[in-house]
Amino acid sequence: MTAQALQIDRELDRLDGLWEDGLQDTYKSYLAAVDGYAPADRPRLALAAALIESGLRLQGLGGRAAAAAPLLMGDLCLARASRLLADHASQTLQVAFARAIEKMSANAASGEAGGPVRDFLVLALESAR
Amino acid sequence: MIAQRLRFKTSSPTQFVDITDKLREEVRNSGLRMGRIHLQSLHTTVGLAVNENEPLLLRDFESLLERLAPTGAGYEHDDFARRFEIALDEPVNGHAHCRQLLLTGFATVLVENGDLVLGRWQSVFAVELDGPRTRELAVQLDGEFGKSSSPLSPGAAARSVGGRRAGGDVGSGTGPDRELVELELARQLLADPDPVAVPMRRLVEAGGKRLRPRLVQLTAHIGPRHDPLRAAALAAAVELLHNATLIHDDYVDESTYRRGRPTVAAAEGPERAIAVGDFYFAKATRLIAEIGNHDVTSTIADALEAICAAQIDDVALRGGYPGDHESYLKVVRGKTAALFAASCASGAQLSEATPDEVEALRRYGDLLGVAFQMADDMVDFSPSSGKPVGLDIRQRVLSLPLIYAAEDKEVGPEVRRLLAGSLGDAEVNRVTDLVRSSNALKRVGDEARALVEGALRELEAVELDGLRPTLVGLARSAVDRDS
Repeated sequence: MTAQALQIDRELDRLDGLWEDGLQDTYKSYLAAVDGYAPADRPRLALAAALIESGLRLQGLGGRAAAAAPLLMGDLCLARASRLLADHASQTLQVAFARAIEKMSANAASGEAGGPVRDFLVLALESAR
Repeated sequence: MIAQRLRFKTSSPTQFVDITDKLREEVRNSGLRMGRIHLQSLHTTVGLAVNENEPLLLRDFESLLERLAPTGAGYEHDDFARRFEIALDEPVNGHAHCRQLLLTGFATVLVENGDLVLGRWQSVFAVELDGPRTRELAVQLDGEFGKSSSPLSPGAAARSVGGRRAGGDVGSGTGPDRELVELELARQLLADPDPVAVPMRRLVEAGGKRLRPRLVQLTAHIGPRHDPLRAAALAAAVELLHNATLIHDDYVDESTYRRGRPTVAAAEGPERAIAVGDFYFAKATRLIAEIGNHDVTSTIADALEAICAAQIDDVALRGGYPGDHESYLKVVRGKTAALFAASCASGAQLSEATPDEVEALRRYGDLLGVAFQMADDMVDFSPSSGKPVGLDIRQRVLSLPLIYAAEDKEVGPEVRRLLAGSLGDAEVNRVTDLVRSSNALKRVGDEARALVEGALRELEAVELDGLRPTLVGLARSAVDRDS
């Protein structure tokens, strides 16, 4: 499954390496969670969720802090996801995703284990459906 | 005269507790305009000190105290068999009392214009010498009192809600508009969990020029639908977003100070810095989404993406330091100008300005942002800025004066040679001198002023309804500054 075939290749500008390096699998794992959304929006919503998960992993949120380069790549993933959501998601879903990141980062700042990122994001997708 | 007690908990045996922010808050809440704040330790093992809050220096102080009065060095005070009427929980703390003798138990800090009079690097510390414990300082404030002026203290915020200043200039961003942003920032930070709110509050309270929120609020007057509360909500969210990016930038740049205070990464570690940055990135995007204007959300999201991409470019370019004019502009357009442009455009979009007006203001913001960054680069070479000279050089931050100096026929070869090697104090000082002796600073100043004039020309097609002088003044002051 190529990004081009999924019509999301334009959204991977500067992130091409990540797609081959795990983002593709993460993306696939969110496809089921976006089932209830309009078919045209599903690929970008799944990609937004995958970018958030990959971005937080790159940054080392909740674990050992990443070095500068992966941190900045993680920031770009979050920003790209934010733009995808601004363009393709309802206000409710934008807010749900943002709240999920707030919760996860507040947990990380408090030194609390907050559970897997995917659980938070799938819950956000389900709650905003 | 106001008398009160300042209580705090310590968490380790020896601890330098920076109480500067608390004292500032006390001064603001009291309304003290001109006078003094007196402090007195109510303990024989807590001292007071005024010094620099630099984490490694604090460790030096701790080591010094340990060398001068070592723990367990056979103090007679600790020989309980020879003492009378000792409490059951009497601690073994002769060393702590001796250390306190080396410090002071009293301090007075002057207050002028409602704020502490402290040098750039001065912080006030309560020094725990026998912790962890709950401690108390007696505090007295005396002098001339006016109205409370803290926009960020919740109590003061509540007091000032109904207190719009007569004659305040709505358009200038210095009157009620500015107060609304500060109130909104205070309100948002109040609602957040301490592990993220405390570091962000420290950064927000340290000041900053608030240019981006001012641009949002000013341009929110352009269209037919002006709603000051929505504009303040957007302006505060933009400021939070800006600060979130700074927190990550400081970690990446290994900066230890921002606005005269330790960065989040330096004070609380990189893990916390990443979490705080992420929290406020998400919170700011949520607040913007909740405003419910798709154009605004999209404008800010585009800018955020540009900032992050430019930050990656910036770090990549450090391999070929100091770079060239083209790569400089590419990075600065993303890192700085993108949010200036988005602030201008989103404010206008919020007020339902026409697409032509939005685009003109976006171009104004873009040019202003680039000019602002150029002026910022020049500040690094100004001995009167209050900031350490040569910091950008030391941290190998992209800087147009350096690029121009490196291109200079006379000083260029030496500048390039020095920048290619390791940069100690001597090298940084020499590069600074070379840049000053070349015409690099003049070139950058001329270029920045030309950009500002270009920005102002963009405003000619926009019906500004009295806002023009403010936008013109803001643009010019962004360039003609020394800090």
